[in-house]
Amino acid sequence: MNPFISIMLLSTLVLSTMIVTISSHWLFAWIGLEMNMMAIIPIMMKKPTPRATEASTKYFLTQATASALLMLAIIINLMYSSQWTIMKLFNPTASILMTMALAIKLGLAPFHFWVPEVTQGIPLTTGLILLTWQKLAPISILYQISPSINLHLMITMSFLSILIGGWGGLNQTQLRKIMAYSSIAHMGWMTTILLYNPSLTMLNLLIYIIMTFTMFTLLAQNSTTTTLLLSQTWNTMPIMTTFTMLTLLSMGGLPPLTGFMPKWMIIQELTKNESLLLPTLMAITALLNLYFYMRLAYSTALTLFPSTNNMKMKWQFYPTKQMTLLPTAIVLSTMLLPLTPMFFILL
Amino acid sequence: MALVHKLLNGTYILRKCPKPGVASCPFLSTRFADYCSSSLEKPVAAPGKASSQRKTEGNLEGHHQREVALDITSPEDKPEVSFDKAIKEEIKDHFRRLKDDIVNHWIGPEGRPLHEVLMEQAKVVWQFRGKEDLDKWIVTSDKTIGGRSEVFLKMGRSNQSALLYGTLSSEAPQDGESGRSGYCAMISKIPTGPFERKRFYDWSQFNTLYLRVRGDGRPWMVNIREDTDVIQRKDQMYSYFMFTRGGPYWQEVKIPFSKFFFSNRGRIRDAQYQLLLDKISSIGFTLADKVDGPFFLEIDFIGVFTDPAHTEEFAYENSPELNPRLFK
Repeated sequence: MNPFISIMLLSTLVLSTMIVTISSHWLFAWIGLEMNMMAIIPIMMKKPTPRATEASTKYFLTQATASALLMLAIIINLMYSSQWTIMKLFNPTASILMTMALAIKLGLAPFHFWVPEVTQGIPLTTGLILLTWQKLAPISILYQISPSINLHLMITMSFLSILIGGWGGLNQTQLRKIMAYSSIAHMGWMTTILLYNPSLTMLNLLIYIIMTFTMFTLLAQNSTTTTLLLSQTWNTMPIMTTFTMLTLLSMGGLPPLTGFMPKWMIIQELTKNESLLLPTLMAITALLNLYFYMRLAYSTALTLFPSTNNMKMKWQFYPTKQMTLLPTAIVLSTMLLPLTPMFFILL
Repeated sequence: MALVHKLLNGTYILRKCPKPGVASCPFLSTRFADYCSSSLEKPVAAPGKASSQRKTEGNLEGHHQREVALDITSPEDKPEVSFDKAIKEEIKDHFRRLKDDIVNHWIGPEGRPLHEVLMEQAKVVWQFRGKEDLDKWIVTSDKTIGGRSEVFLKMGRSNQSALLYGTLSSEAPQDGESGRSGYCAMISKIPTGPFERKRFYDWSQFNTLYLRVRGDGRPWMVNIREDTDVIQRKDQMYSYFMFTRGGPYWQEVKIPFSKFFFSNRGRIRDAQYQLLLDKISSIGFTLADKVDGPFFLEIDFIGVFTDPAHTEEFAYENSPELNPRLFK
């Protein structure tokens, strides 16, 4: 893409998320979300293959619907509160509509159907932006309206997301779809704790972004998009297989890796609020996620996956792709657990 | 040749094709009669009559009672089905398929363990060993636009192959707007899951299409369509040519997926895109070589496999002159 257009789109993307997060007027927050959607559509269509076009179309349709619902919720809130300031909502209808609109934006179940389809149709780096940066704006609005969100609706959607994220990712051979289902499940964990302790949502989001960034950057090094290709990375970049395994296990929430921290905090917070069944079910359902991460780690790093002879002796070229922040990200996504008290105090 | 033996002897794990609901329910057969001529039985016949209609082989000439030409339904047989019973059977069938779907999802992709799917290097996708295999295909010709080509599909000798035969006629229909005509095609039905949910094939492990055919020297076009949810992509397909040799020997055609070129609404586009193999919807064979007369194509099976020697990803380039939009 022309570098000027690229810079303009990326800066619009960043600016739009900043507008949403710092805005105190509902209209400007909505405008920020619209700008966000408009900016990412051309980024998704960088290579205009038919699949990318379809993914962009699906993304646009779902996000536009969510924006329309959001505007409806804002106007209902305006009717009842006669002011545009972003604070708790004054009407349960507005609250439910807004929760659903933001759930569509985030890809929470039962509005999750677009996430694997869109993620599969776009390149890896754009998928990274979609699953990390695009979550910031809706979560910031959810954070601000969290006192007025309907508890039952939110808990239902969250648990359904964790379940569907685990169940849907079970049979995937395409890595981008696996990351999409992983995103759905993680969004479920984040939104479960939103009404009890919104700071933990932020912590979970931060850890999730670091882990997803690490995972996508590792995949982009070799342009691996299927499990079979990933199982052959031991041949081209052996050190990457170790990092891939550690990052996958961290995403699965295994101690002593970083990914355990948000899950631990969330379960602790839920039990403090005398909710016992929900965290038990969440922890059990998270095992589904762990199962397919483990399967990937198993085929990548723990065993030599069967392959033909000409796959076994590849030239190990010096990597030409830029590993932006990869070493830092790997350290952060695997070794942050001892710093849990720091995060606990900060947030 | 060794590959053919392995594929046929089942060394590689054959995929269990789920039987589409079409064949199992006479009610559905009736509904499909209007545009599907692939079924051996008459579309309105009850299942009891179907077995009595299975006959030994005939020639290319002469129509048997069991071949159904396009758009013609038999006047003498009346449907002998109970409407309520058929509806209940269909609903039960769909719930059964949903249950199988959930159980298969637990086992792995396509109902087989993941390691089996990942290690598979050759797979027979369509084979013709019985009448139910013909029901997975739709046969069409330019009769739908008023032309005079005819095409039929029946089982070949000893139920070991399918025979696609007919007559091609490039006489244009006299409707004042069509200038050209003359095509016949055989297209696979889109696989469906429970409640007629659209499915797709995932061939991302493989890189070559394998066809065991016996033709009459005519050039055929192999078309692959991808699964899509947007209506604008329904006319997009990826094609390549298959040149049959005629003669008594079977021909093994291997077409790498990297060779398929992209076309939209029947026109090859300047901007060429690679065929992505993770969401394949259907495959089709088209004859449109402007030569009037009879034709036949016998197909033993259609499979996909991984050719380790083939490392090309995409055979065509996009050039800045033809398509500056792609290079901005």
